Amino acid sequence: MSFRFWGISVASLLALSALGCGQSKAPPAMQNPSGGSGGMPMTGPQSCDAPSPGPAPLHPLTRFQYDNIVRDLLGDTSHPAQAFPPENEVDGYRTNYNANQANPSLVESYLTAAEAVAASAVTDRLNDVAPCADGGTTECGHAFVSSFATRAFRRPLTDAELTPLTALFDAGSMQGYAKGIELVIQAVLQSPQFLYRVDSLRSPTTESGAMVLGGYELAGRLAFSLWGSVPDQALLDSAAQGTLATPADVEREARRMLEDPRAHDIVRDFGEQWLNLSRLDGAVRSGTDVDAAKLDSALRASLTSFLDATYFSKKGTFEQLFSDDKVWVDGTLAGLYGGSEPAASGLEAQTLPDPRYGLLTQPALLTLLSHADQTAPVIRGVFVRERILCLQVAPPPPTVNAVPPDPDPNATTRERFRQHTEQEACAGCHKLIDGIGFGFERYDQLGRYRATENGLDVDESGQILATGDADLDGDFANAAEMLDRIAKSPMARDCLATNWYRYTFGRQEMPEDTCSLAQVKDRFAKSGGDLKELIVGLTQTDSFLYRPAMEAP
Amino acid sequence: MSRTFSRRNLLRAASGAAIALPLLPSMRGRASAQTAETPKRFVTMYTPNGVIHEDWWPTNVKNEGEFDLSVSHAPLKAYQDRLLILGGIEMKVASTGTAPGGPHQRGIGGLFTNMTLGEGAFVDGCGRTAGWATGISVDQRIANVIGAQSPVASLQLGVRATENDVQGRISYAGPGMPLPPLATPLDVYTRVFGNFMPPSTTPDQDAARALLAQRKSVLDAVASEFSALETRLSSQDKQTLDAHLTLVRDVERRLSLGIGDCAKPDEPPTLDPVSETDMPTIANLHLDLLAIAFACDLTRVASFEISTALNRIRYPWVKSIGEGHALSHAGVSDADARLQLTARQTWHSSLIARLFDRLAIIAEGDGSVLDSTLLFWGNEVSMGTTHSHDNMPFLLGGGTWAFKTGRYLQYKGDSHGNLLVSLLNAMGVPDTTFGNPEFCTGALSGLA
Repeated sequence: MSFRFWGISVASLLALSALGCGQSKAPPAMQNPSGGSGGMPMTGPQSCDAPSPGPAPLHPLTRFQYDNIVRDLLGDTSHPAQAFPPENEVDGYRTNYNANQANPSLVESYLTAAEAVAASAVTDRLNDVAPCADGGTTECGHAFVSSFATRAFRRPLTDAELTPLTALFDAGSMQGYAKGIELVIQAVLQSPQFLYRVDSLRSPTTESGAMVLGGYELAGRLAFSLWGSVPDQALLDSAAQGTLATPADVEREARRMLEDPRAHDIVRDFGEQWLNLSRLDGAVRSGTDVDAAKLDSALRASLTSFLDATYFSKKGTFEQLFSDDKVWVDGTLAGLYGGSEPAASGLEAQTLPDPRYGLLTQPALLTLLSHADQTAPVIRGVFVRERILCLQVAPPPPTVNAVPPDPDPNATTRERFRQHTEQEACAGCHKLIDGIGFGFERYDQLGRYRATENGLDVDESGQILATGDADLDGDFANAAEMLDRIAKSPMARDCLATNWYRYTFGRQEMPEDTCSLAQVKDRFAKSGGDLKELIVGLTQTDSFLYRPAMEAP
Repeated sequence: MSRTFSRRNLLRAASGAAIALPLLPSMRGRASAQTAETPKRFVTMYTPNGVIHEDWWPTNVKNEGEFDLSVSHAPLKAYQDRLLILGGIEMKVASTGTAPGGPHQRGIGGLFTNMTLGEGAFVDGCGRTAGWATGISVDQRIANVIGAQSPVASLQLGVRATENDVQGRISYAGPGMPLPPLATPLDVYTRVFGNFMPPSTTPDQDAARALLAQRKSVLDAVASEFSALETRLSSQDKQTLDAHLTLVRDVERRLSLGIGDCAKPDEPPTLDPVSETDMPTIANLHLDLLAIAFACDLTRVASFEISTALNRIRYPWVKSIGEGHALSHAGVSDADARLQLTARQTWHSSLIARLFDRLAIIAEGDGSVLDSTLLFWGNEVSMGTTHSHDNMPFLLGGGTWAFKTGRYLQYKGDSHGNLLVSLLNAMGVPDTTFGNPEFCTGALSGLA
């Protein structure tokens, strides 16, 4: 039997006392990219009587948004942005604007993509993109410039913006109508009005306090928040007609947009970043002969299907997200998890013979939260505390040997991890982590159910400790009990709202976000944890409906 | 000594997948045409989680010039006279003070910047938080000087460096401005060879000129759009766009430079950037493309990042099947973990040898491209058991123009910031300090 000694030094014992295990603390906001101090830790409550929006600087498009937009504007489904350099992520979110400035690779990628997308549009789809009854006239060209740029820029253009594009068409059309269209597309796709979400245009008058957003700005925010794309014609029409002005107008449009297939893409994009699903790609787990790449992609699709179905079921709630027993399986997964062979190719919702309780017992997530050859109670426990409850977990002393103990044919994983809770130095923190992680011990490194491990009964009891929520804390007998408590926990529900807020507004929350964050949580709670209402609720916050005043130049 | 390029030599040097260097009268294209002087090239290389010191430092040390390479560096035997192994240097920017971040974060952020991390929300897997490094990295400082005229100012190459936060970034364009690495050889190929003017001798020349003229008219219109928008933005947003527009104009200028007489190499295959099966091939092909980019003088600066701090990556091709970071917490007393950890370092050394093999067979001036290349290999911590930042496992290799190589030097806790100044000076950047002056007193002594 190989049983590693987890070395503990006196220094680490001393260090432990300073760790402050179990403290819930809001991390400070990201620093300003230019090196400024950025946000400070959240301070006490502030008055939310007057609108108090968070900042609204430029947001660069994400790869997801870029691909959606060229699909919606030009019918281009080639996903050109997948060749862009990856976004820098904060809290796992690629939408974070502070962490993402232009860089040489990105700007060159913009150029490459613009040229490829424009060439494809005029070569393959000219009649759809820029139809012209007379086979290509200046009138048609100028009409295209105006209509295309308006949709791409999400608002009517000023003369200063329109003139260079019109001139570019005129110059290009010397080589034919298609060439003129092609060059205009290239220029629009490299313009900052396209590449950045511009929510704040300074008004001609002096500004102060919270500024109400105009119809076009609201249309843009709605489209990016609910579709990850640009407004459709209906939104632009509402903005033009002045019927996109009040919170009720915004809510009406948000509800309409949730019925559109594109809303499903947002739920998937958020879910992948919230749960860090990209880390599933390339994961290798023992215990199966299925090709890793094939398994990883099937698992990822299974989990996103679960999320999608939960959010868009008739009454998808937070509680359902953490209790639903469905698992989406294809032929490969059915074989691995004991499902029945699906009737058709692709994924199918099934109730497996073994117990499942929502998101945290989905095979994909449990596989993600495992080591290659064994389960990972620590990783699972940390994930629940950080990602599901928004608690911060204190670090182990650096002198600890963190190699998980070798698999042992004569012991359960829980027994091998016993040192965590038997040694005083470890126990202080690890009972907070492993106590939750052990609750998942009946799911192996592939998320397969097991009542026994190495012929021994698997003990799935544990404890939730020091969350600051009395209803959540306490011993539990099994995963069902633990997950039932999380499914009904206001702390976990608020945490999901916080994560959506970070994703939607592209930043770690700052003091200026206090009121808006409270508005989202409050509305989500009052809706009974309705997941679609959470998305609508984001549009009903000060940070969505207003922007801070800008100083005069 | 004069070396001549031979395809046979290259094939002999190659192991596994390789990209053939194009056979042309002159591999040096732009360099020979534009400057009489041989260009200098610079590479930073990063590998994570510290090393097993017992297997890292030279053995049988008689004096600074007489020693045997350790098992970690065994693949570099042929290049021992081109190496400088630097013991006893402390990464004070990471070990000292109360700046944010855990040891891996502070280490990777400070390694090439000599700057501390800002406040931020990145959790280091152990609960400590930090933001990005607060200064430019040494490769970018060098690129700003010697890369300004290159078609590609610098290349960031990543091998499974897919964590997109502070633990996955080694190059910084400025404070809080990390540069993401290219993940696959195809990405590198596209960036280096995708957009450039074909050689002047090909019949595509007229079409290429027309394309450039057309691109200019498009980008002129784009510049007008920038101007039109900026008048209505806050000063912070205006700065964002000014920086962006500068890059647009820079890309335009670089794309007009062309690739001289260099032919495009074969397009590399599609590989999965997160696959542990593809990982060694990605590393090999990245370096093959880098060798061509150097030889053709398409770029002069690169960073090469192998996975990320705190990773959970296995190296099954060298029988290292533990998960990287967890494995590194085991000490020298754990014989199996030690073998697995050192096997990784030996493989890392073999990558350097692969790059050197390629550069050494490309003649340039009186020598080879290797003679004008300087590589600095660093790590974000010294050893996984302690996460300390003293006695950092640092290695220099390549050309001998600036330093007296073939030596194993022992320093007494000198700050690694001083080493970065020496690297700048070697590359022709006459700075006397770099990064945080608290951890930098000038160039490191004893290298020349």
